[in-house]
Amino acid sequence: MDFKKILRKLDEFKIITMPTIFVVFLLFAAVLVFYFTSAYPAIEKYGIDLFTTNVWKATEDATKEVYGLAAPIWGSIYTSVIAVILAIPIAIGYAIYVNDYAPEKLKYPLIIISDIMAGLPTVIYGIWGAFILVPFLRDNIMMFLYENFSYIPFFSTPPITGYGYLSAGVLLAIMVIPFASAIIREAYAMVPKVHKEGLYALGTTRYEATKVIVSYIKPAILSGFILAFGRALGETVAVSLVIGNSFNISYSLFSPGYTISSLIANQFGNAELYAYMVPTMYAGGLVLFVVGLIVNLIGLYYLRRWRSNVSH
Amino acid sequence: MFHIDYKKIRMIKENIFLIVVGALTLLATLPLFHIVFSIVSKGLSTVMESGLPFITETFSNGGIGPAIVGTLILTITATAIGVPLAFLAGAYAYEFPNSFIGKSTKILLQIMLEFPTILVGTFIAGIVVFPMGSYSLLAGALALAMILMPYVAVYTEEAMAEIPKIYKEGGYALGCTRAQVIFKVITKMAKKGILTGLLIGIAKVSGETAPLLYTAGGLYESYPNSLFEPVGSLPLLIYSLVQSPSPEDHKMAWGAALVMVIIFLGIFIPIRYSLKKDIKI
Repeated sequence: MDFKKILRKLDEFKIITMPTIFVVFLLFAAVLVFYFTSAYPAIEKYGIDLFTTNVWKATEDATKEVYGLAAPIWGSIYTSVIAVILAIPIAIGYAIYVNDYAPEKLKYPLIIISDIMAGLPTVIYGIWGAFILVPFLRDNIMMFLYENFSYIPFFSTPPITGYGYLSAGVLLAIMVIPFASAIIREAYAMVPKVHKEGLYALGTTRYEATKVIVSYIKPAILSGFILAFGRALGETVAVSLVIGNSFNISYSLFSPGYTISSLIANQFGNAELYAYMVPTMYAGGLVLFVVGLIVNLIGLYYLRRWRSNVSH
Repeated sequence: MFHIDYKKIRMIKENIFLIVVGALTLLATLPLFHIVFSIVSKGLSTVMESGLPFITETFSNGGIGPAIVGTLILTITATAIGVPLAFLAGAYAYEFPNSFIGKSTKILLQIMLEFPTILVGTFIAGIVVFPMGSYSLLAGALALAMILMPYVAVYTEEAMAEIPKIYKEGGYALGCTRAQVIFKVITKMAKKGILTGLLIGIAKVSGETAPLLYTAGGLYESYPNSLFEPVGSLPLLIYSLVQSPSPEDHKMAWGAALVMVIIFLGIFIPIRYSLKKDIKI
């Protein structure tokens, strides 16, 4: 009897799709379990020091190996923060221009340009960043700031190569602007026309109307930047070509650093030679995964809540 | 008197705002033009110097043929693995949006979409490359499939959700089973959206570097001929050439970047233009 009921519930569609759902769940669980178990030896050996100290001693002798991931963790967060701070005004301005000011002929090309930028392979940003952007920033911006404002701690390191937090932050900003502005643009377009018409009926200029609408979509803007931050955290290739790759914790924008993903990209290949380096890498990956997950969940939650508020 | 002054101030504010917003837009789009400009100006000479052999010869003969073929094979294999999975998972998430499994499937897919790609690479390295003992085409394709899958699934779900419910009801009223309604009616109606997601996903995956670093390995002196041997890829080649200190390698990197940008724009722009009507403003 029960068996028949179950059979009736399982129609063709479920029989076809269920295995794939199973694969999706299994894959996700496998990733989690794999990262936890692979990172465990390092976490067990070094404890919390693994995440709070900045040491990197790789030796053949497993007992003398010491690793601390503080520098890459700091670098990941610092560069992403720089990127988001630089991206905020540009992405908002861009979204406003496309929605409200751009002449019809410019609108579609502008949207397509930002879509291309969002999809452009990251290694293309990397090669451009390493050979064009970094020398440009060093000669025109970093040198000027260092010569005139080196008493401010942010600008205190002489920009010798130009590879460092600022270069990575600027490149990341360029990469996340299209992503953030697409979210803002979409939110902007979702604002009911009545609001705008009402504002114009009150005799506002376009600037004043825009101000009101921007404050109306504030939650969407916020979630756009949270999601952009999450994306910047995980970016690997472009960052590792411009960050300078050295274990360093500094506020100074011009000093070279490391990010978790660029550490993995650089060191994972020879990590196998040492007993605890691979687990350390996976521990770094785990940090990246957990931080990214939290950031993305917050961003998605706010965005979804805002969307349902607007559509009702 | 006062009234006129206020109006003037407001008009000035309006104009300043317009200038600021326009300047910010210019700033946002400028990098793309500069990227394309510098890649063309630096890459063209490399490509012109070697001519056709640049895209057919092996690396020591001054060409990037194996990398192009590698990218192609990797992308096709990843598509073959990832897309059926993605389509069915997306269809499930569409059909059961309120059940626990359906909801969590959608959330999981969205989380996987934002998953840092380097972590996919190290995951596949851990479960495929280490046990097998060497980098392989299979590992690279699996890593790419894992990135492609949530992408296509989310697009499929969204494209299907946009079809009015009434067609579904019509299908059921004709006596179709659930499988028939979804696969024959809804899928056909949502074809365009699903295909777009697929193509954009493929364009994205073919440009990925990070997941291939420790899975595909790299092979530039001969063409790939086995599923279980290392394979090269265009983005991977560019990445390693940029890191090399020799200016000769940098020239090759610019040339390879030019080929890659042409391929990417060649796929991407037609798709995007064909969707012009769907852009919401």
